[in-house]
Amino acid sequence: MLSVQNLCKSFLVGGEKYPVLKGVSLEVKKGEFVGVMGPSGSGKSTLLNSISCYIPSDSGKILLGNLELSQLKEEQLARVRNEKLGFVFQDFLLLDGLTVRENIMLPRIIGGKNVPAMEKSADLLCDLFGISHIKNKYPADISGGERQRTAVARALINNPQVILADEPTGNLDSKSAQKVIDAFLQAKTQLSATIFMVTHDSYAASFCDRVIILKDGNVQMTLEREEKERREFQDALLDSIRESSEVKES
Amino acid sequence: MKNLTAVFATLRKKGRGQYLLLSGCLFFAVLLITAFSMMMYSPTVQTVLPQGGDSRKQVMMIFVLAVIGCGAFSLYAAGLFFRYKSREAGVLLALGMSRRALNRQLCREVLGLTLESCGAGLILGTPLCWGIWSLFRLFLVDTPEMLFIFNLRAYTVPFLFFLFVLFLLLIMENRFLARVNVLDIIHESHRPEPVRAVPSWYGWGGILLIVLGGSLGYFAPSFCVRVLQWYAPGLLTAVFYLPALVGLYWVLLFTVVGGWHRGKRRYAHLIESGMMQFQGRQTVRNMLVVTVLVAGAYFASFYTPMMMTSSQAALKNREADYQFFYRADQEMISQAEIQELAQSYSAQVVNYREVSSITLAIDGETEVETEGPMGVTYTVQYQEMRSEGRFFSVSAWNTLARDNLTLESGQCIASLDRYGYPSSISLVTNPVTGQSLKVETLPSPLSSRLLSDIYLLSDQDYAQLIQGLTPEWQEVQVVFDAENDSYALAKDLFHRIVESSGPETAVFDGYDRISKMNAEKAGEVYWGDQVEELNLPVIDLTRPDSSSFRTNWLYMPQFQALDEGDFLSTYAVYLLLFIFISILCFAAVSVILYTRSQSLILSNLWVYEDLHKLGASAAYRRKTAQGQVKRVFLAPLLTGTVLILCFYLLILLGNGRVWGIDANEAVAFAVCLALAAICSTLFYLLYRFTLKQAWRLLKL
Ligand SMILES: Nc1ncnc2c1ncn2[C@@H]1O[C@H](COP(=O)(O)OP(=O)(O)OP(=O)(O)O)[C@@H](O)[C@H]1O
Ligand SMILES: [Mg+2]
Repeated sequence: MLSVQNLCKSFLVGGEKYPVLKGVSLEVKKGEFVGVMGPSGSGKSTLLNSISCYIPSDSGKILLGNLELSQLKEEQLARVRNEKLGFVFQDFLLLDGLTVRENIMLPRIIGGKNVPAMEKSADLLCDLFGISHIKNKYPADISGGERQRTAVARALINNPQVILADEPTGNLDSKSAQKVIDAFLQAKTQLSATIFMVTHDSYAASFCDRVIILKDGNVQMTLEREEKERREFQDALLDSIRESSEVKES
Repeated sequence: MKNLTAVFATLRKKGRGQYLLLSGCLFFAVLLITAFSMMMYSPTVQTVLPQGGDSRKQVMMIFVLAVIGCGAFSLYAAGLFFRYKSREAGVLLALGMSRRALNRQLCREVLGLTLESCGAGLILGTPLCWGIWSLFRLFLVDTPEMLFIFNLRAYTVPFLFFLFVLFLLLIMENRFLARVNVLDIIHESHRPEPVRAVPSWYGWGGILLIVLGGSLGYFAPSFCVRVLQWYAPGLLTAVFYLPALVGLYWVLLFTVVGGWHRGKRRYAHLIESGMMQFQGRQTVRNMLVVTVLVAGAYFASFYTPMMMTSSQAALKNREADYQFFYRADQEMISQAEIQELAQSYSAQVVNYREVSSITLAIDGETEVETEGPMGVTYTVQYQEMRSEGRFFSVSAWNTLARDNLTLESGQCIASLDRYGYPSSISLVTNPVTGQSLKVETLPSPLSSRLLSDIYLLSDQDYAQLIQGLTPEWQEVQVVFDAENDSYALAKDLFHRIVESSGPETAVFDGYDRISKMNAEKAGEVYWGDQVEELNLPVIDLTRPDSSSFRTNWLYMPQFQALDEGDFLSTYAVYLLLFIFISILCFAAVSVILYTRSQSLILSNLWVYEDLHKLGASAAYRRKTAQGQVKRVFLAPLLTGTVLILCFYLLILLGNGRVWGIDANEAVAFAVCLALAAICSTLFYLLYRFTLKQAWRLLKL
């Protein structure tokens, strides 16, 4: 579904080149819930932004299905972002002037397609994520967890091939974070959505099918959950993260 | 909500405040410019402010300033608007809206908003102008010539302004769209910005530069004229003011960024200064505009009181109630007729005196101007017959002024000229016969202020020079007082005098027949005859009540009652105009200050949030916000006010013959100070209002 091959990206700071991604390769299969973890500054956000082509990458391939994203022109990219990708951001990025329901419908309106059906789709998503009772409220009047669930619903309305999420629980308390993770899980099981999530939080990551650990611009390791208990998987994650930071210290 | 247009409409409804601010600013700018332009194009102003004259230049300069000010605050408002819009745009882009689609929507919004607000301004500008005009006529002064006449050409400037604003807004919109970055929106977290330090010597160094530039600019023109004998082009001498402008920038920057609090005390203002490190330079550039506008506004407001107090003083110091003179070849109203007229107004003519005078050619130096590539230079040249001079015999003078002067033959006493300077001549010539006489001007001028620009000769010399002089070179001078007189009497008498004057007397008070003879001898056209080319005042004997006639007619009588009655109306147009300019400038200043404070608080919203998280009390945050708003307000207002007061003080000091301030000038200055105090109070109220708004923004 999503395949990243040998992705490189460096930033120019004060005339000097700082490599952030040094040939990252990874694969996300359809219906998979994949997490990305790693210490601060390891390039997680850079990876995600390169995949969504918000920043141009230096070299390497990004394949969505059989579309090569890095080759697309601005107009085509916009279309891909609208139809084939769904985004969930740490700061929700809802429009304050629109109601919850209107915010959810926004990608459809932008795409200008399927307009008659969109209200129904939006209502279905609201029901699924338990935000039906607030769908006519404005973002300013609802809680952070509700805002993020609205954002997840918005990301799903166009049935995207992949949902890209950067620290979706970063700004939330644990109870709200749980509800957002539940929303992701529901999207996965009931809508067979594919999710690619960057997170700092080992608890959130422990719900993933697979977690990629990034370090110094490289994929350091990949942990599969397989049939492990969630607790067990979280402990495994914590262990490997601790290991990788110990290596750094020595 | 079915499509993007509907989405934008909804967003517009929710973000009404931001839209209102921008369209309000645009509306206000176009409204003011239209109203002002309408006034400038009215025939009243066109005739009262002669083209090429200083007052017209000053008015135009201030108008240009005000237009720039309006442009500036429209642009700030647009900047604020686009900043507000950037989040929306970022989200829409992130959700896959193409830039082209976004551009279409934004363009439509900007176009609609500009058209609506500017259109409303264009339409309502004329009624506003008419309203102010009518109020002014109703409450202050009403003269027959103050007709308000609609002129389509007045729309040129506001329309050009509208096109300019539209053009700029579209450019801004394009740049905004090109720069809007999804990543910046996603990571709303603030990237650290590099700080450009402000050197600590900017403060005092700036003040020094202001003083230096101010005095250089002030003295440069007179230095060029007096010492180099060169009328340097205005643009060139204006260059000398440049250091002052640089100094102003330094002082403002220093005040805004670092502040004058140094040492330990600066910690009390650490946060405000810290925030200003980034918006500092930009803020200061806006402040510079404000400072210049404030100075312009004060300049306009002070102009009329200054002019009025000095002429009022001159009025009070007159030695006789009524005085006028006429050419001896005129059929003028006689003493008996004057007395009869006075009686019909139940007034009494007393101390009636009537003597004759003659006009002769006097010698002197003229400036011969040559126009070169560097402006006009001049050389001084002596001429035996330079210009006209009015002469009385000493005995006639003694009758007229109740003096008892004596003169030997060959001696001459000169009065002060109308500007208060003494003059000195050595040769007088009969312009008809060419007979001339060497005279010696006594060093002490005539002490009486009854008449200016006159000379006294001994009776013997006078009798000799009058020989062969035709009546058009002779005059009759009448002086009297009146008891129980009135404005109506004075006006009636004035009208009788004008009616009795023939067309040959319809000349302005700079018209000189000797200069004309000289010009003709040299084969040139006398400048005083080029009324149309040089836009000289037109003297129309059928319109004796027009300001232009009253201020410029050569034979204009000086009647205390008339002048006192007409005093305000003579200056009414000036007053109206300058009041209008000050309103315009002050309005522009207020809008700039308000929007600037608002945007400053908005762009630092996160700092206040962080402060809150760090446990800063509401009182502390209030104080910090107050410090920021105060910076925006205090520095430019104070600088502008002080600068212009200093400028006027310099003018007052340099005015007149002696360096210093006389009683009238002190009154004028006091009036200016009072005006400044009133305006400052109003600005204080605006400051309080802005601060309240800022606190509301910060939810404090
Ligand atoms: N626009 C940029 N210009 C210069 N350097 C950048 C830029 N964006 C990111 N970097 C650098 O790239 C490195 C990786 O940044 P990135 O944001 O991808 O890390 P991250 O893994 O997301 O960290 P965190 O967990 O703190 O979010 C950092 O060292 C950062 O300084
Ligand atoms: Mg990150």
